[in-house]
Amino acid sequence: MTSVALDRVVKKWGHFVGVNDVSLEIADGEFLVLLGPSGCGKSTTMRMVAGLEELTSGEIRIGDRVVNDLAPGERDLAMVFQNYGLYPHMTIAQNIGYPLKVAGVPRQERMKRVQAAADRVELSEYLERRPHALSGGQRQRVALGRAIVRTPQLFLMDEPLSNLDAKLRVSMRAQIKHLQKELNTTTIYVTHDQVEAMTLADRVAVMAKGEIQQIGAPLDIYNRPANAFVASFLGSPSMNLFEMQVSDGELRNPSFRLRAPDNAPSALTIGQRPEDMAAVAPGEGDFDSEVYTAELLGDTALITVRIGHDLVSIKAPKDTGFRMGDRVGIRFDRDTLHYFDGVTGTRIEFETGGYAA
Amino acid sequence: MTRHAKRLRIAGLSVLQIVVAALVLLPFFWMLSVSFKPATEAFAIPAELWPRNPTLENYVLALRPEFRRYFLNSMIVSGATLAITIPLGLLAAYSLSRFQYRILSVFLAMVVLAQFFPAGAMIIPIYKIVRSAGLLDTYASLIIAYITVTLPVAIWMMRGFLMRVPRTLEEAAAIDGASPLRAFVDIVIPLARPGIVATSVFVLIVTWQEFLFALSFTSSKEMRTLPVGMNDYIGQYGVRYGELMASSVMISVPVIAVFFFLQRQFVAGLTAGAVKG
Ligand SMILES: Nc1ncnc2c1ncn2[C@@H]1O[C@H](COP(=O)(O)OP(=O)(O)OP(=O)(O)O)[C@@H](O)[C@H]1O
Ligand SMILES: [Mg+2]
Repeated sequence: MTSVALDRVVKKWGHFVGVNDVSLEIADGEFLVLLGPSGCGKSTTMRMVAGLEELTSGEIRIGDRVVNDLAPGERDLAMVFQNYGLYPHMTIAQNIGYPLKVAGVPRQERMKRVQAAADRVELSEYLERRPHALSGGQRQRVALGRAIVRTPQLFLMDEPLSNLDAKLRVSMRAQIKHLQKELNTTTIYVTHDQVEAMTLADRVAVMAKGEIQQIGAPLDIYNRPANAFVASFLGSPSMNLFEMQVSDGELRNPSFRLRAPDNAPSALTIGQRPEDMAAVAPGEGDFDSEVYTAELLGDTALITVRIGHDLVSIKAPKDTGFRMGDRVGIRFDRDTLHYFDGVTGTRIEFETGGYAA
Repeated sequence: MTRHAKRLRIAGLSVLQIVVAALVLLPFFWMLSVSFKPATEAFAIPAELWPRNPTLENYVLALRPEFRRYFLNSMIVSGATLAITIPLGLLAAYSLSRFQYRILSVFLAMVVLAQFFPAGAMIIPIYKIVRSAGLLDTYASLIIAYITVTLPVAIWMMRGFLMRVPRTLEEAAAIDGASPLRAFVDIVIPLARPGIVATSVFVLIVTWQEFLFALSFTSSKEMRTLPVGMNDYIGQYGVRYGELMASSVMISVPVIAVFFFLQRQFVAGLTAGAVKG
């Protein structure tokens, strides 16, 4: 158990900046998720923590040791790779026991600890098999077993569930969460799946283009996204965003107008989550449109309408009567509107309106 | 394609395979056959496929003390070449497979290019070098000459196999605490084993049958290798075909045995299951 700190970490390849000035503190026992779209530098950040990639500048500390110049093996961490990284010529027992073997743990002790780790990840029956004779989920558990067998100070997991089917992913997710809380080991977890991030994380760090956009508890980020990118990246379906011009105290776009908050800049992006918008009878909302599709999700219905070129999603009760092609009124909820600067995308909090937490 | 047409196609292909196999195997069969024929039968006309009166006489004659000496020499020269080429080539190939070198493509092109030079074109300069180094008529002369031939190809071959070992596995080993050398020994070598075995077989075959260097660099009977020693049977007044073929069979046996026992090793696919699947 330990804390981790990244201090102004930069990674460049030639002129290409993969990770730009990332600073991050991870508390002892915390589960931190690095979330972001493909190519945003999540893996690179994690690989620098692991010691598989050198820093261009900056500093990484694990506990109170600066680890910049330490080999991966000297950092006392375990990593689960996206493609598992199992040794195909070794049995499951040998795979799980390899870190102990390298550390020179005597055979007897090693077998005991391999058995214990295998029990934890429910693999005891498969110890004599080779990785190729296991299913994807089982291989994933071998990788987990190998990670926990020597009780490292820090777990690193790079999209460990992305090769599993949807159902297995949900159950493995629960297992990982449970295991992490039980062992109370500081964990950094990389994913591009926002649902994984929301469900697993104590805190989420959202990345884009090599930079951290926002760090916070999942609900905080969901409720108060720091900019338009974070707003649209978290949540499914994602937040509806509208680019508005401000004049004469009104927010305008070609389809509708709303009252502008005081002191609004001349270009403003407003956002509202699908569950905060309402589909009402024509004429009773802020503007009228036509139902593009109406989908039943089970517990709710998802109504999509078209505004200009954009599709807008609205979550409605499942017994909503709207059908494709119906006229529909769309109503914003003034209290849960998000405002972002129309140029920079940065969140703006207004005295009146805006999100009331 | 209908089922009927498919069957016809398979039948046609099978016949073709048998014909090709027969063409390839005929000389070997002839070698075996002649080695069991008494001298009077070897070149009887019309030629007969099977020996009429099979005999071991040729083998008994062929197993002279000289032959045993040649055999030993061949083993020493081939073995030493192998023992030096493989470890050296493996380390070089590993380096070339894991690091970017600007000269890499030049090196690889040179390896391929070197294969186009006939040995006959290089024999005189190499002979001069060997002579001025005072190495004529020694094992060292042959071992060094063979390494210059086998090492570049071995590096080239093994690099191909090493490139197929996923890097993630070495990274996993590094995280598990292994030094780069340890990861190489524990992870990379076992996974590249089919390639190492295949390369070893290549080295053995090249050195075992090499004739020109061996003929040029050795002069005493004590230093001769098998292919040169076979010359003994080709005399001024005739060729002792029976004995020649019997010793040919005995020379081939080790090569065939190596192939037979290592066949399974060639089957790659050992990396199956390393990464998703
Ligand atoms: N060795 C390298 N040389 C040059 N560029 C690299 C190298 N490794 C990664 N990059 C670039 O750095 C950027 C970040 O890569 P990284 O692997 O960290 O992305 P990621 O966020 O993990 O994406 P994904 O979700 O697709 O795995 C990418 O644009 C990638 O092309
Ligand atoms: Mg990645």
